[in-house]
Amino acid sequence: MKDLNNLFEKAKPFVEKGGKFHWLYSTYEAFYAFCFVSKNTSKSGTHIHDYIDLKRTMSIVVIALLPALLFGMYNVGYQHFGAAGMLNSTDFFKIFLFGFLKVLPIIVVSYVVGLGIEFLFAQLRGHQVNEGFLVTGLLIPMIMPVNVPLWMVAVATAFSVIFVKEVFGGTGMNVWNPALVARAFLFFAYPAHMSGDSAWISVSGIEKLADGFTGATPLAQAITAETANAPIPVDFWNSFTGLIPGSIGETSTIAILIGALILIFTGIGSWKIMLSTLGGGIVMALIFNIFGGNNTYMTMPFWNQLVIGGFAFGTVFMATDPVSSAQTERGKWIYGFLIGVLAILIRVINPAFPEGMMMAILLMNTFAPLIDYIVVQGNIKRRMKRSKIIA
Amino acid sequence: MEHLINIFVKSVFLENMIFAYFLGMCSYLAVSKSVKAAMGLGIAVVFVLTVTVPVDYLLDNYILKAGALSWLGDSFQNVDLEFLSFIMFIAVIASITQLVEMVVEKYTPVLYNQLGIYLPLIAVNCAILGGSLFMQQKDFGTLAEATTYGFGSGIGWLLAIVGIAAIREKIQYSKVPAPLRGAGIAFIITGLMGIAFMGFTGIKL
Repeated sequence: MKDLNNLFEKAKPFVEKGGKFHWLYSTYEAFYAFCFVSKNTSKSGTHIHDYIDLKRTMSIVVIALLPALLFGMYNVGYQHFGAAGMLNSTDFFKIFLFGFLKVLPIIVVSYVVGLGIEFLFAQLRGHQVNEGFLVTGLLIPMIMPVNVPLWMVAVATAFSVIFVKEVFGGTGMNVWNPALVARAFLFFAYPAHMSGDSAWISVSGIEKLADGFTGATPLAQAITAETANAPIPVDFWNSFTGLIPGSIGETSTIAILIGALILIFTGIGSWKIMLSTLGGGIVMALIFNIFGGNNTYMTMPFWNQLVIGGFAFGTVFMATDPVSSAQTERGKWIYGFLIGVLAILIRVINPAFPEGMMMAILLMNTFAPLIDYIVVQGNIKRRMKRSKIIA
Repeated sequence: MEHLINIFVKSVFLENMIFAYFLGMCSYLAVSKSVKAAMGLGIAVVFVLTVTVPVDYLLDNYILKAGALSWLGDSFQNVDLEFLSFIMFIAVIASITQLVEMVVEKYTPVLYNQLGIYLPLIAVNCAILGGSLFMQQKDFGTLAEATTYGFGSGIGWLLAIVGIAAIREKIQYSKVPAPLRGAGIAFIITGLMGIAFMGFTGIKL
């Protein structure tokens, strides 16, 4: 540790103002803050000083993401060996290792591309490198199908970091969630790699697929069943534990719930948004249950709606993004509720989209500033009225 | 009734004037700096669309269409005045806009000043003419359908402009790169809003 500190001290004259490499200062600063604690103090404007800074916030979110990520890695291996019909003859570590080796490159690509662009912008614009991307860079791989080509991850990450985050001024200024836009970008640009039955399970190196293997996610199966008017084959407990095909991090509701507990306990994720999103989803599913008629997808019980697809993951990690969600307390209830309603609505009535959660959150990100505006104006109006009565 | 709701939802979300057809962009980009002004212009557009589309519908069905003049007598059976529809629609739109302008100037002078030149320019707002022309193309069966369509298109436009105005108010203090300030970032926002609205494409109603 001391040697490292010495190294930084030695390098300092070079990157300071007037030094040879002064344009590298924010890179230096970022690495220093990553290893130790930033020495900079705020110099202008109003600041609230607190023990919980951006670095700590982001670290806690990363910790909350870990259960879902680790389970996702295991599930990638589980689906692979399940497709090969070799589940019984393979031990736990081999399964996990397979998934780990599959997921790791995606994470590396997302971090390298995203952080590279982030550092570049920080250098050019002379601001500090923020820790915000640590979370985004982990969220992007977790909402990708495992078979996504690496260059697509790179393109999507570059697109979202530049056009969703940096052009708005960097961390804390974005209007949309960068990770979700990255996924939406790929979904519309390369639909063949982001949906369909071949995207979700890694079958490379398998000589003979097991009997009855489909590779379809429960959401895709639900759409198929809807057109055929057959009962929907969703196994609640499998979906709850997460041993189903799907994006890497989204399958296990129980791992996501652990993350949710961490976020709520530390006060970083808004429990209001999580609760209201859940409420919105349940209400919409119940409405479909009542008025659905013969449509099997509409008659699917709400607890099944909540455990399949990205509903849980979106509720806990995407909707609660403190930057792109509504900022006012009453706005959060409205925002979350509408996400839940829209997610189930798009999922059920739009055959072009197997997953409505992504679009629902993006759409509500769009209208979150408007919700805030209306709530704030409402508050102003009410207080004006109150002050008049007193006077 | 269900049919009308379908037309309404479709015109608001699926066939949104801004995000599906990119119509009415000039005033959409120019007046979206504050939510209040955007709301004012949006309501004006809703009003103009709700009035012009049904009026143009009647005009189309009783005067312009091939055979529409047959109520004048059998000798008018083969008259087809459809080539006049552009000029007729524009005339209707311009006169209704004039009306709106007078009303706004009389009752909310503040808004009148805020909207400035864009209020009379509603007359040449492509979303308005687009509404009438799409109505002609869609061949609605009843007046109620045409009115619903006009109203829905207006609401869709209102939603879009108020949404972007709120976003632009929010990013007022963001450190947007200097070359992108103003119109540049507005275009990027519009594109990203378009991605968000794509969730509705493909819904069958």
